[in-house]
Amino acid sequence: MAKGEAAKTDLLQGTLDLMVLQTLDTMGAMHGYGIARRIEQISDAMLKLNEGTVYTSLMRLLQSGWITASWGISENNRRARFYAITRSGRRQLAAEADKWDRLAGIIARLRSGEK
Amino acid sequence: MRFFWSRRRMDADAAEELRAHLELLTERYIDGGMSPEEARAAATRQLGNVTRVREDIHEMNGFRLIDNLARDVRFAMRQAASNRVFALVVVITMALGIGANTAILSVAYSVLIKPLPYAEPDEIYAAEIIVPERRAQFPSLPATVQVFLAWQRAQTVFASITALTPWEASLTGDGEPERVGGASVAANFFSFLGAPIERGRAFLEEEGRPGKDRVVVISHSLWQRRYASDEAIVGRTVSINGEPFQVIGVAAPSLIVPTRTQLHPVIPFAARVDVWKPIAPTPATLNNESWDHGVLVRLRDPRQQSQGEQQMTALLIELARAQMPGVKTEASVHLVPVRDLYAAKVRRPLLLVVAAAMLLLAAACASIANVFLSRGASRSSEIAMRIALGASRGRIASQLFVETMLLAACGGAVGTVLAFYGTALLVTAAPPDVQVLSAASLNLPFLFSALAVTLMTGVLCGVVPVLQGGRRDPVTALKDAARTTPYRMGRARQTLVGIEMALATLLLASGALLLHSFVNVLNTDRGYDVDGILTVDLSLFGDRYKSPQARGVFYSELIGRVRAQPGVMAAGGINNLPAVSASDGPSRAILLPEDTDFAAVVLVRPVAMIRTVTTGYFAASGSQLRAGRTFGDSESGLVAVVSESLAARLWPGDSAINVVGRRIRQGGNLSIPLIEVIGVVGDAQPGGLDRDPVAALYRPYQQFPSGPMTLIVRTSQDPAVLAGSIKAEIRRMDPDLPITAMRTMRDVVSSTVAQRRFQMLLVSLFATVALLLGVVGVYGVTNYAVVCRTKEIGVRLALGATRRDVMRWAVAVGMWPVSVGLAAGLVGAALIANLFRATLFGVTPLDPLSFGGVAIVLLAAASLACYLPARRAGTVDPVLALRHE
Repeated sequence: MAKGEAAKTDLLQGTLDLMVLQTLDTMGAMHGYGIARRIEQISDAMLKLNEGTVYTSLMRLLQSGWITASWGISENNRRARFYAITRSGRRQLAAEADKWDRLAGIIARLRSGEK
Repeated sequence: MRFFWSRRRMDADAAEELRAHLELLTERYIDGGMSPEEARAAATRQLGNVTRVREDIHEMNGFRLIDNLARDVRFAMRQAASNRVFALVVVITMALGIGANTAILSVAYSVLIKPLPYAEPDEIYAAEIIVPERRAQFPSLPATVQVFLAWQRAQTVFASITALTPWEASLTGDGEPERVGGASVAANFFSFLGAPIERGRAFLEEEGRPGKDRVVVISHSLWQRRYASDEAIVGRTVSINGEPFQVIGVAAPSLIVPTRTQLHPVIPFAARVDVWKPIAPTPATLNNESWDHGVLVRLRDPRQQSQGEQQMTALLIELARAQMPGVKTEASVHLVPVRDLYAAKVRRPLLLVVAAAMLLLAAACASIANVFLSRGASRSSEIAMRIALGASRGRIASQLFVETMLLAACGGAVGTVLAFYGTALLVTAAPPDVQVLSAASLNLPFLFSALAVTLMTGVLCGVVPVLQGGRRDPVTALKDAARTTPYRMGRARQTLVGIEMALATLLLASGALLLHSFVNVLNTDRGYDVDGILTVDLSLFGDRYKSPQARGVFYSELIGRVRAQPGVMAAGGINNLPAVSASDGPSRAILLPEDTDFAAVVLVRPVAMIRTVTTGYFAASGSQLRAGRTFGDSESGLVAVVSESLAARLWPGDSAINVVGRRIRQGGNLSIPLIEVIGVVGDAQPGGLDRDPVAALYRPYQQFPSGPMTLIVRTSQDPAVLAGSIKAEIRRMDPDLPITAMRTMRDVVSSTVAQRRFQMLLVSLFATVALLLGVVGVYGVTNYAVVCRTKEIGVRLALGATRRDVMRWAVAVGMWPVSVGLAAGLVGAALIANLFRATLFGVTPLDPLSFGGVAIVLLAAASLACYLPARRAGTVDPVLALRHE
């Protein structure tokens, strides 16, 4: 089993978790399908996601206590599980987003120096 | 992991969500204009691997370790079920190794090491008197009552000093008359030992004086058995030997006191001691010169041992000078630790058994290593396959580990049960002189170390080599595996078989030496017959038998009635059966007529056991008359029959025929008339043959009466059959007379060799198990070689080798380690046999019969184990074998 591959998945996982958290923070409680649509919409369909992984991500966030889940009825009258961000989820989002921004800034500066 | 317990529901939730997601996506694509099939396919693609998502979620919610472990255990159980023989061999081997080892060590610990149940047991010593002139006959002597009193009065070194002497107690009045073992003890006996009294109290100081001494302490078991645990026993008056005694206390069940000849070889206690009375010396008892008091002392400081010995020696010599001014002796007193009383005689035999149990454990470990190695070898292709399929080394290691542990747990569990029952069995089956055993219980540290040793062997041989094998390039391993079963670990396994065989040889040879000794002991002529003889122990007491005449009348009447029974060929009585103990009962110095100064010759002349016999004793017992005659019904003068060894000591160099008619003096009292020797009989050996025969002087019952008697009845039929009619005859004469014991002479002798038999049986049992393990190992190694090399055998046969060649090769694979192991084992056995030379009887440590027999048995068993696979090798069809690929 190649080590590099695992590392890439890890990065993706973390990124996806951040995206899901941000979506829930912006949009309020949502179900998995809605989250997938929102990410698709925001990324202008640039990000081709295995949408099943959204649920893996949601389970991870649930386990960390950053979101809660409850069964409800969706807009088109289907039973669906709604996820909502918690207070500690917001704190985590703020911290992660901050880190992400700084990282993005560094990379941007590195790239501009490269020119 | 928060959702570990609800992960079934979590999985259902995830499944439902994913299904809904798929439906929504599909609808969306249909709305976008796709056909339902296209839409569904596109949605499925977009959602990705649903099963993988569910698995991830499931794993996220689980304890990975527990999951894997559960899987491994299930797998291991399936493995064990599919390979029952392997599992069974491992479990049984482990169980036997652990069980036997732990049981023996537990017993050895309690006999040899566990502190005795006394207060500060290390401070207690027993005193032995060594008289240089008497050493040949008596290596040491206990004390007389006067010696004890002298020591008690004047000693200043010891914290305290106490004494005990055997006492026989006949209990009447509460149900069946019964004879139990007892002891007269100094009043401080219980406080000296620090032995707790369960109810009531121990003796008071004043109860050690005549008139106050009609009090007894009884044992816990006697209280339970005879007095039905009567709460009001303390204060009750019971009838002992026809006299009233008040019960003042019941000893705690944990009390251990010397029994039989544990305290000293010449003072025999009963096999159980159930009653204690105080020693209260009267002028009459003070005159008794019997060396029958065991003396125990408590040292304040172990460094004072020699100081104590010197003071006791000085006091002893002072007393001897006062009593017999002419006596000159270098007598000295020696103190031995109280542990030695219980352990000294059994230490060597027990250590031998411990060594055997250790060897058995080693053989079990070698055997476990062997079967695990063979299993690892046969599974190497499976492991290679799994590594090739991506299993991590860690997963495989943990799975093998779990497999090993599962088998080990089963083996350990069965072994623990075996150890528990084995310990209990040893306690009940052990010879009675190993009394400390009654406190033996399963020793957990020994159990755990035996478990650990076997477990480590299993892990070392079950996991490590397989993993090392797995380190090979999986491609090569798989290629190998596809072609033939690879022959691996062959050398290691041959070595292990060699070790197993060496251990088996060692044990078998020890067992054979012990067995040969045992047979020799049984077959040795003891100077009396062993078969066809019934013995009946009787003791007369009470007013009815106060006078010697009354006792004499009773015995001659009884013997007359017994002789009239059908099937009885001869009957007689003796005061102390030579088979039971060489030195029970009264003994006297035997003097010649010219010895006028007792003090001058007392240490030169032999001491003889005085045996009182009725007419008919010699004929009934089968004693051999060397010269002269035995006693008639009435003897006019004082007469005696001497044993050969007494005659040799009194008149060295004279033949038996010359001895007849000579005169002797019994004891130092010159006013007692001389006794005429009318016959010489062969020496009577003690049943166990563990001591030299003691010089004996036989006196007719009429001239030297005694209370207790053992009836000897010679019969042409099974002696046990007679027991009923003889008991009825005794009851008819006196319904209140307790019959102490009725045993065949075979049983009497048998009980004196119990320790030897016990040791021999245990070692032989271990040897048999070790042999079985070894044979299984030989079979395994040979069979494995044949299976692995079927193709090679096919090639050889095709190239012209004969079947005989092939079989010879297969036998050589197995027999090579066997012969090396046998040789090594025989050398080891010779060395060990030299160490326990003292345990052997009539056998040299290099006994050709034992060693030859062992070699033959071992080679025969191993050959059979090799022959079966070799025959298979011989029947290989070369065509089939070569096409086998």
